[in-house]
Amino acid sequence: MKIKEVLAVLIIIGIITLVGNFVGANIPMIDAIPGMIFLIAISILGVICSKLIPVRIPAVAYIVTIGCIITIPGFPGSAVFNAWAQKVNFLALATPILAYAGISIGKDLGTLKKTGLRILVVSFIVFIGTYIGSTIIAQLILKLIGEI
Amino acid sequence: MIEAIKNWKLHVLVLILVIIAEWIGAFSFPIGPGKIVLLPMLYALIMGIFLGPKFLKLASHKDMIDAGSLVGVTLMLLMAKYGTTVGPNIPMILRTSPALILQELGNLGTLFLGVPIAVYLGLRRETIGAAHSIAREPNVALIGDVYGLDTPEGRGVMGVYICGTVFGTIFFGLMATFTAAMGIFHPLALAMASGVGSASMMTASVGALSAMFPEIADKIQALGAASNMLSGLDGVYMSLWMALPMTEWLYRKFYKMKYGTYPSQSAVREG
Repeated sequence: MKIKEVLAVLIIIGIITLVGNFVGANIPMIDAIPGMIFLIAISILGVICSKLIPVRIPAVAYIVTIGCIITIPGFPGSAVFNAWAQKVNFLALATPILAYAGISIGKDLGTLKKTGLRILVVSFIVFIGTYIGSTIIAQLILKLIGEI
Repeated sequence: MIEAIKNWKLHVLVLILVIIAEWIGAFSFPIGPGKIVLLPMLYALIMGIFLGPKFLKLASHKDMIDAGSLVGVTLMLLMAKYGTTVGPNIPMILRTSPALILQELGNLGTLFLGVPIAVYLGLRRETIGAAHSIAREPNVALIGDVYGLDTPEGRGVMGVYICGTVFGTIFFGLMATFTAAMGIFHPLALAMASGVGSASMMTASVGALSAMFPEIADKIQALGAASNMLSGLDGVYMSLWMALPMTEWLYRKFYKMKYGTYPSQSAVREG
């Protein structure tokens, strides 16, 4: 994965997101451009880190960490960074990703037929299991420490 | 990847899907004590599936492969955004860290619900692979390592993996909005539970929750992202050291209950 290629993809997704961000969240494209450039810069920085640092950690882990550190209150420029990022709606970012994911899922439909109905039922049960299991524990502890 | 980048037809298709999905906008209707929210990302996903050669034939096999090769990179911007949502909320995340850490154990809920039902449905060793986790990439790799992927256990984990790939996002989006609409659980608890180690499932769940509770949307997103990171870190170890042994044990118990005898050991394990 070359950095130039990643940058090209990010710019394409960035433009699509800015359009969606305008149609869905009514944020003018001009207002959201700094935020988008900021997010692209963080992503590229993360990719560079994963290439330079010899430990095998995926780029997304660096990306989340960098985004987190530079927006912690008190970090130089965090208020500006945060204001930029807020102009890019979180839901608008998710829509193009799921559009690409949806198109790619088409090729898995054939395999799905082979897995059978019983596995499908078990899959849904498994999803419910982890979700409800985690929710119950989180709810109890949050109540216990007085957060909710 | 260079070919996928130059596939302008694909990008234009995505742009059109995004415009249609965002133009329709979030759709909500009341149910019970709460409301169900359907989001543009869900429409985009479903419309994307229907573009394929089996349905509308607007996307070719090559477009599907190209789209798949780009999904990993497209997630980067969202991850950057999650980072910038977590940063300002660090004080709250530290305050709630006991809940955040302990709820990871809730991921074992997969096997407590999954094993009995899988055995009841008549699955044999497939149960082990299918019910020990939510079967994302690290879990598939783990089962492949321990049992091999051409074994019943391997078929179980691959089955759930494929189902998760196709239906996971839709299911998590709907499950989040239905559970929240019941009004039993606090949205922040549901946000923590959203982080199961899959960015797209977490996003679907967190997206639905933030649309339902806009006043605490940033907290929901921050906790979801933080919990997802934790699951990414502890997922494989929890599967290997806790979930797999417990799944094996529970499988034997329920197998005995259904068939009257204990299952014979898998040949792979003996070898």
